[in-house]
Amino acid sequence: MNSQLTIDCATADEVAAAYGLGAVDGTDAIAVEEHLDGCSQPHAEARDLIVAASIVPFALEPVAPSPGLRDRLMASLAETPQDHRSAAVAEPPRVARVAEVMAPRRPWWQLGQLPSALAAVGLAAVIGLGAWGASLNGQLAERDAALRAVASADAAFAAEGEAGRGWVIQTGDQALFMADELADLAAGQLYELWLIDGDGNAVAAGTLTDTDGVALVTLEQTLDDATTFAVTVEIERVEQSVNDPVMVAALDA
Amino acid sequence: MNEDRRDDARLADRVRSGDREALGELYDRYAGMAIATALRVVGAREEAEDVVHDAFVAVWRKIDRFDAERGALRSWLMTVVRNRAIDRVRARRVSIEIEDADERSLLRSGPNPTMDAALKRASAGDLRSAMAQLPDDQRRALELAYFEGYTYREVAELTGVPPGTANGRLRLALGKLRDALVGTAAAPLPIGEASLREDLGR
Repeated sequence: MNSQLTIDCATADEVAAAYGLGAVDGTDAIAVEEHLDGCSQPHAEARDLIVAASIVPFALEPVAPSPGLRDRLMASLAETPQDHRSAAVAEPPRVARVAEVMAPRRPWWQLGQLPSALAAVGLAAVIGLGAWGASLNGQLAERDAALRAVASADAAFAAEGEAGRGWVIQTGDQALFMADELADLAAGQLYELWLIDGDGNAVAAGTLTDTDGVALVTLEQTLDDATTFAVTVEIERVEQSVNDPVMVAALDA
Repeated sequence: MNEDRRDDARLADRVRSGDREALGELYDRYAGMAIATALRVVGAREEAEDVVHDAFVAVWRKIDRFDAERGALRSWLMTVVRNRAIDRVRARRVSIEIEDADERSLLRSGPNPTMDAALKRASAGDLRSAMAQLPDDQRRALELAYFEGYTYREVAELTGVPPGTANGRLRLALGKLRDALVGTAAAPLPIGEASLREDLGR
C-alpha cells in the first residue's frame, strides 16, 4: 500500500502519539507507517510512544465475559476457515481420466520405488509428532475416540501427500487412520485407504468421505504384513487402484 | 526476542496451525480486557460482546499476518478489538477500512526491548494510576482519540483548541504513561503547540 504522501522524520515524530492511538486519518497513517518502516533513523521516541499507546486499554478494569461467549466463539471458529488455509487449499485430488489409464500400466505400488517424498516420511514421523501433534490436540478434544486412539497408541506413522497430513496409529490389534482437514473431494469421490506389503500386494483397508475436521477410520486390516500405507482418490471403492496416491506413510520406519 | 514475544510466537504458531484451543487460551487470557475495551467504546454490554467475538474470529482468520517480531500479540488483539468497536460508533460518522486497519496495527511498533521489559513489570494498577495522574485535558484528549475514535484534528474541534495543541496533549499523555512505566524522563521534542505541520507536509 502506498500513501502517495511522503513525510519527513520530524513530522513522523510529531504525530507518532496520535498515530499510535489511531487518531491520524488513513492516508496520513499510511504515510507514517511507510516512513517508520523505511527510515534509517531509529525514531526511538516515536516508537516508545506507539508502544505506550498500545497499553492504554490495559488500564481498564477487566469485565468478565458472559458464560456463553466462549462457546459461541469456539463454534464460530469451527466454521471459519483461516485466510492462509483458504488460500493454500490444494485443488481436489485428481482422479485419473479414462484416457489416461487406457494404456496398460502397472499399479503404482508395484513400481518398485515409492515417491521420493516417502523417504522423508520416516523423519516426519519423528519430527511431526511434536510439532504437528501439538496443534492437533485442540481439535482432538472434540473427538474422544481419536483421543483414546492416540492415548493408547503402540506406534504412530506419519502420512503425508497432496491430500494433507495424517497418522496411521497402531493400538493393540487394531489400526486406525487419522487425519486433520483433508483436502476436499469433488462430488462423487471418496478416499480409499490401502495397506501394501513388502511384495507390493495392496489390499483395500477402508474408505473415507468426510473431510471436515478430524477424520478417524478404523482400518479393516491389521498392520502385520504391511510396509506401506497409502490413500487414493476413487469414484467408488475398488480392489485395485490405478490412481496415484495422494498420501503415503512408511510403516516400517 | 524476549520471553513474552516468544510466548506470543508459540501461541500464534499454534493458532496458525489451526489449533482452536490455542485461540481459546488467548481468549481466556484477554477476554476480560477485550470486553472492557469494547464496552468502554460502544457502551452496551451485548454489543461489546459481539465486538469481542468478531475480533477473536478476525485474529483466527488473520493470524498468518501476525509477526511477533513486530509487536505483541495482546497489543494486536486489543487493537483489533478497538478497531471494531470504533467502527461501530463511527458508523454514524464515517466508516474506517476495518480490514486495512487491523493489518496496519501490525506495523506500529516493532521490537522494543525497553518498553517490552517495562510492560512486563507494570501491573494493571500501575497503568490505572498513571492514567489517573494525567491532567484532565490530556486524559480527555487521549480518551477521545483512543476510546471514541476521533482523529487529533477532530479532538481539536471538540475541545476548542488548535490541532497542534490536541496533538501535543496526546504526545504529553503518552509520554507520561511511558515514563510511568519505564521510569525515565521523556525527552520532549522541540516543537511548539502551533508548529505541528498541519497537513503532514502537504
